[in-house]
Amino acid sequence: MTRFPIIPSLEGDVHVILVGNPNVGKSALFGALTGRYVEISNFPGTTVELSTGHTDGMPLVDTPGIQSLHARSDDERVTRDILLERGGSLVLQVADARNLRRSLLLTMQLAELDRPLLLDVNMVDEARERGIQVDVVHLEQLLGAQVVPTVAVTGEGIETLRSRFQTARPVRHRVRYDAAIEEAVARLAPLLEGRDGDERAIALMILAGDAELAARCGGAHRAEIEALVARTAERYPRPLHFVLTGQRLRAVDELVAAVVRHPETRQAHAGETLGRLALHPVWGVAVLIAVLALFYLFVGRLGAGVCVNWMEKVFFGRGVNPLATWLAGFIPVPLVRDLLVGEYGLITMALTYGIAIVLPIVLTFFIAFGLLEDSGYLPRLAVMMDRPFKALGLNGKAVLPMVLGLGCDTMATMTTRILETRKDRLMVTLLLALGVPCSAQLGVIMGMTAYLPPAAIVVWGAVVTGVMFAVGWAASRVIPGERSDFILELPPIRRPQLVNIVIKTVARLEWYLKEVLPLFALGTLLLFVLDRTGALHLLERWAAPLVEGGLGLPRATTASFIVGFLRRDYGAAGLFALARAGALSVPQVLVSLVVITLFVPCVANVLVIAREHGTKVAFWVVGFVFPFAFAVGVLLHFGLLVFGVHF
Amino acid sequence: MLCPLCGCEFDETDHSCLSECPMAAIQGCNLICCPNCGYQMVDESKSGAAKLLRRLLHPPGDPGKKEPTP
Ligand SMILES: Nc1nc2c(ncn2[C@@H]2O[C@H](COP(=O)(O)OP(=O)(O)OP(=O)(O)O)[C@@H](O)[C@H]2O)c(=O)[nH]1
Ligand SMILES: [Zn+2]
Ligand SMILES: [Zn+2]
Repeated sequence: MTRFPIIPSLEGDVHVILVGNPNVGKSALFGALTGRYVEISNFPGTTVELSTGHTDGMPLVDTPGIQSLHARSDDERVTRDILLERGGSLVLQVADARNLRRSLLLTMQLAELDRPLLLDVNMVDEARERGIQVDVVHLEQLLGAQVVPTVAVTGEGIETLRSRFQTARPVRHRVRYDAAIEEAVARLAPLLEGRDGDERAIALMILAGDAELAARCGGAHRAEIEALVARTAERYPRPLHFVLTGQRLRAVDELVAAVVRHPETRQAHAGETLGRLALHPVWGVAVLIAVLALFYLFVGRLGAGVCVNWMEKVFFGRGVNPLATWLAGFIPVPLVRDLLVGEYGLITMALTYGIAIVLPIVLTFFIAFGLLEDSGYLPRLAVMMDRPFKALGLNGKAVLPMVLGLGCDTMATMTTRILETRKDRLMVTLLLALGVPCSAQLGVIMGMTAYLPPAAIVVWGAVVTGVMFAVGWAASRVIPGERSDFILELPPIRRPQLVNIVIKTVARLEWYLKEVLPLFALGTLLLFVLDRTGALHLLERWAAPLVEGGLGLPRATTASFIVGFLRRDYGAAGLFALARAGALSVPQVLVSLVVITLFVPCVANVLVIAREHGTKVAFWVVGFVFPFAFAVGVLLHFGLLVFGVHF
Repeated sequence: MLCPLCGCEFDETDHSCLSECPMAAIQGCNLICCPNCGYQMVDESKSGAAKLLRRLLHPPGDPGKKEPTP
C-alpha cells in the first residue's frame, strides 16, 4: 500500500478520524469525546495543527475543516492525506444540522472511500431554534449508515455517538455519475497502485484535478492516467471538478428534500412553481416579457426619465455647469477654458454625460439586475435561450458565455475558452461583440428606449435579435460544429436579500466610476482635439453620405458614433442627449439605437479578442462588426421609409 | 469558494478579471463570476466601497452572531 506521511502520535490500528466542514463543531466534539489529554502537533511539512487524543482507548484525530476532498489548500491536503493513510479507520463526520446540504456534499465524497462512517448531525439545538428539522431516522435509512444527532457544546447525544463506534459501517448510498465519468473511473481505478478499496475515491479525486495524487498513486501508469483525465475533461464545457460537484449536488438535493423540513417550505414552494414557469416553453416567454416590462419601467421610466431629468436640469443645469463656467471665467487661456467647459468640455460633456445621464441609468439598472441575479432567474434564461440556439445549430455550450456576457463582455470572451473547437469559439466571440451588451451598456441602451413608443421598442428588439440569429445561422452554415447537450445545474428561485443587493450595487458603481468615466474623458478629449484641428468637421462631411443619406440622421450624431468606437454606452449617451434635446425623431432614435447596439462593446473587448484569438481575428471582427452595424441601420432606415412607418 | 446562488465550488482566483481584463490593469474588476451559473459576487479585497459598507452594516463587534456558551 502506498504510504503517506505519518503522524507519530497516531500509531496503532483503528483510529477515529474527525472530519467536517469548517465551523461545524469538530473541536467542540473532540473536546467532548477526549476530555483533557490533548496533544497538538504539526502535520509533517506543513503549518497545519492537528489535535490528537484518545476516546474509549482509541486514538482520535481532529482534522482541519474542509469543503471537499478536492485538495487545493494545505488544510484540504492534510485531511486528504490522513484519510488515505489511515485505511482501516472509522470516519466520524461532523455535519451542521443548520446546513445539511453542504455537509452531505462532503458525505458523498467520504462515502466513496468505502470506510466505516458515522455521521454526527451536530448543532441540532440551533437548527431547532430556527425551525429546521432533520429526520435522522429517514436519513439513516437512505444513507445506509448510522446517523446521530448531537449538541457538542452541552454533551447531548455524545454517549449515543460513542456507543455506535463499534457498529459503524460504510455508507451504502453512492453517487452515480454520468456514463462518461463512470467509464473514466472504471478505467482509472485499475491503474492505481497499492490501494485497497478506495480506488474509486482516488480515481474521482484525480479526475477532479488532483495531480499530486496522480503522481503518487499512478506509478508507471502516470502518463496513461493523465491522458485519460484530459480526454474526459474534453467532453465537458466546464472543469471536471465542477461537473463532479454538480452531479453530487443533485444526489444531495434529493436527500435533503427527503429529510430536511424548513420553516419556509411554503415560500420555497412558490419559488419552485415560479422556477418551473420560467422554464416553460410558452409561460417562460410570458415571464421573460413581464421581467423586461418591469425592467423598462424601473430603468427606462424611473432611471432614464425622472432621475436623469433631475440630475441634468437641477444638479448640473443649475448647479455644476453654471458654477464651472463661472469659475472657468477666471482661467485666462481660452483653450484650457474650452477644454473644461466648451462644447466638448471635460465638465460640460464627459462629466455631464457620465454623471447626469449614465449614472442614474446604470444605478437603476444595477439595482434591477442585482435583484434578477439574486433571484436565480438568469440561469433559467440561459436554459430558455438554449432552445433557439440549438435550432441555429450552435453548440449549446455557447449559451454560457452569452449569459456571462450580460455581466462583463470581457469576462465572457475569456470564457469562450471552454468551447472545444476554434470555430465555436470564434462564432461566440463574434456574437458577443455584435450584440450582447455588458450590464452597464445594457442599462444605457435600455434607458434610451424611454424615448420610443412601445411599437418602436418591439421593432428595435426584433431587429437586434433577428440580426443576431441571422448572423448566428449564417456562421453556423459556414462552420459546421457537432451539437452537444448543455446541462446547467439550476439554482433554486429565491428571495433576494437587500443587504446583498446594496453592497453589489455599490461595488458596481465603484467600478463604473473608476473604469468607465476615464474612458469617457478620453473620448471627450478625442472629440475636443478633432474639433480644434478641424478634423471633426471634415469627418462629419465625409460621413454625411452615410449618416445623413444612409441613416437619415442629423450630422451631429457623427460625434456620438465616433466616441461609440471607444465604448458603445458613451455613444449611446451622446445620442440620448440629442434625443432629450429634441434633435431626433422617433425613427431616428430607433435607427441610431440599433446601430449603436450592434457596435463592438468597448476597446477592452477588442484587446481581449486580440489576446485570445490573435490580432488578425480582432481585426476581422472589428472590420466586420462596424460596417455591418451601419448596414443594418441603413436597411432599417429605408425599410421604415418604404413602408411609411411613423409610429 | 462556494457560489451562494448555485452552491458550485470554485477557485476565486481563476475567476476575477484582475489578471485578465486589459482594462483592469489598475485594480481590476471588483467582481468574481461563478463559472457555473454566471452569478457575480463582490470581491471585497478589490472594492473599498463595498468593504466599507459591509463594515458599516456589520460592525466587527456585532452582537448578531451569538458567542458560544461552553
Ligand atoms: N449551539 C451550538 N453551538 C455549537 C455546537 N457545536 C459547536 N458549537 C459552537 O460552534 C462554533 C464552532 O465550533 P468548533 O468546534 O470550533 O468548530 P470546528 O468545526 O472545529 O471549526 P474549524 O476547526 O475551525 O473548522 C464554536 O463556537 C462552538 O462553541 C452545538 O452543537 N450547538
Ligand atoms: Zn454559481
Ligand atoms: Zn472585467
